[in-house]
Amino acid sequence: MTASNGTGFDFDAMLQTIKDKQWSLADIDWDAPGAETMTDELRAKMQPFMADLVWIEHVGARGFASLATKAPTETIQEIYHYFHAEEQKHANAELALMKRWGMLDEDGSMPEPNINVKMAIKVLDEFGDGLPLTGLATLIPLLECALDGALVKFLLEEVHDPVCHEVFRHINSDEARHITVDFQVLELIGAGPLHKLLIESIGNLKLQVIVGLIVVFVPLINKMRDNIVAMGLPEQKLYNAVKRYGTIGGRGHYTQRIPAYHVLRSQAAMVIDRSHPYHRLLADPLVKLTSFVPARILGRPQAWVDEVTHEPVAS
Amino acid sequence: MKRLSDDDWRDHDFTGERVGVIADGVEAARIVPRVLRSAASVKVFQREPTWVLPMAVPVVGTLAARLNLRMSIKDPWTRRLLTPGQFGRREVALSRRYYRGLRHPSCTLVAWPVYAITDHGIRTAEGIEHRVDTVVITSTVREELAS
Repeated sequence: MTASNGTGFDFDAMLQTIKDKQWSLADIDWDAPGAETMTDELRAKMQPFMADLVWIEHVGARGFASLATKAPTETIQEIYHYFHAEEQKHANAELALMKRWGMLDEDGSMPEPNINVKMAIKVLDEFGDGLPLTGLATLIPLLECALDGALVKFLLEEVHDPVCHEVFRHINSDEARHITVDFQVLELIGAGPLHKLLIESIGNLKLQVIVGLIVVFVPLINKMRDNIVAMGLPEQKLYNAVKRYGTIGGRGHYTQRIPAYHVLRSQAAMVIDRSHPYHRLLADPLVKLTSFVPARILGRPQAWVDEVTHEPVAS
Repeated sequence: MKRLSDDDWRDHDFTGERVGVIADGVEAARIVPRVLRSAASVKVFQREPTWVLPMAVPVVGTLAARLNLRMSIKDPWTRRLLTPGQFGRREVALSRRYYRGLRHPSCTLVAWPVYAITDHGIRTAEGIEHRVDTVVITSTVREELAS
């Protein structure tokens, strides 16, 4: 596939850039000075935040694995394979930071996910590969805008360890390419025939998909929103991060033709407005309800959940 | 770390070695069972999965291969990694021992993209350097990595 694909974006050149910009955990000196800047107070405050962050990256990686199965071109499929791996790398690197800061238990194992993350894993295992390209391709940039724009900036303001800043220079550089490609793919989808978009969008309205997305992702996002605001993240930063989703999407010629984009942009606006009835009537009750779901009924997740590691080298 | 290309691996003694095999599914199905006979451990860096059948089955090849995969590999995530994608090769590899080899405790399937080979190991895009004593790499893959 060459530069001309209806949007003028050169996905081949982007794939080459992605290959050229690869980095490894082995490139980082994990024993370098700076870990002592993590005080006991900060450690206690950051531990749950970091655990959530690692799981978001890990679940995000699984999202890209699903996207790869329905990529519109072979080049984009390969890009998604790399993004899948890069999100996993981010989870690995963040777990390595947790180990450096003494946030893991003695055997260095991955922190247990909360019930909302477990439900998200279940939904991805059950329906992830069956979700339509339009829906997934629209959801993932929203999560990435929020991550890149708010959570990571918050982390870098709170933590002064130079190794953390080195790691996130790499991660931010990767995420910038993810967001560029995410929105260019939306342009590509939006540039397709309108009737195809509408048919696929109506096809999305399967009851199990809608219920699954609402019951799982609404409380997941709300719980995280409240956790990070409680930790001191100014709401304005979260607002700016989510606003970026609308701003970048609004720059495209075709993205606005995608119904799922409008749905998610509206939902995002409700998420960041704590006074909106969305919270009182839907999100908060769902957070409470899902807290009663026993993890054992979700069954054993698929083996991808065990692939996170903080070890830069494997033999 | 020793690097073996093309057919060099056929004459190599892998006894006690940690071996990495970087190949497409068709070539991996040919190389891995042989290497596993003597190596201490094998990591299969699969570039692109392919359908595998123990013997040639005319007409319903892909369907039979899907069934073969289902019966041979219990773990659903590994099965997913071994399933060719929409742009994958339609070719069906013939091997009785490839899936059995992948189930062996000393064999690991790595589906992450390989982006570099260093003096000590193989670097994949999930950020890990996989240390091996010997790497078997096909000429196609070698040229791609060099570019």
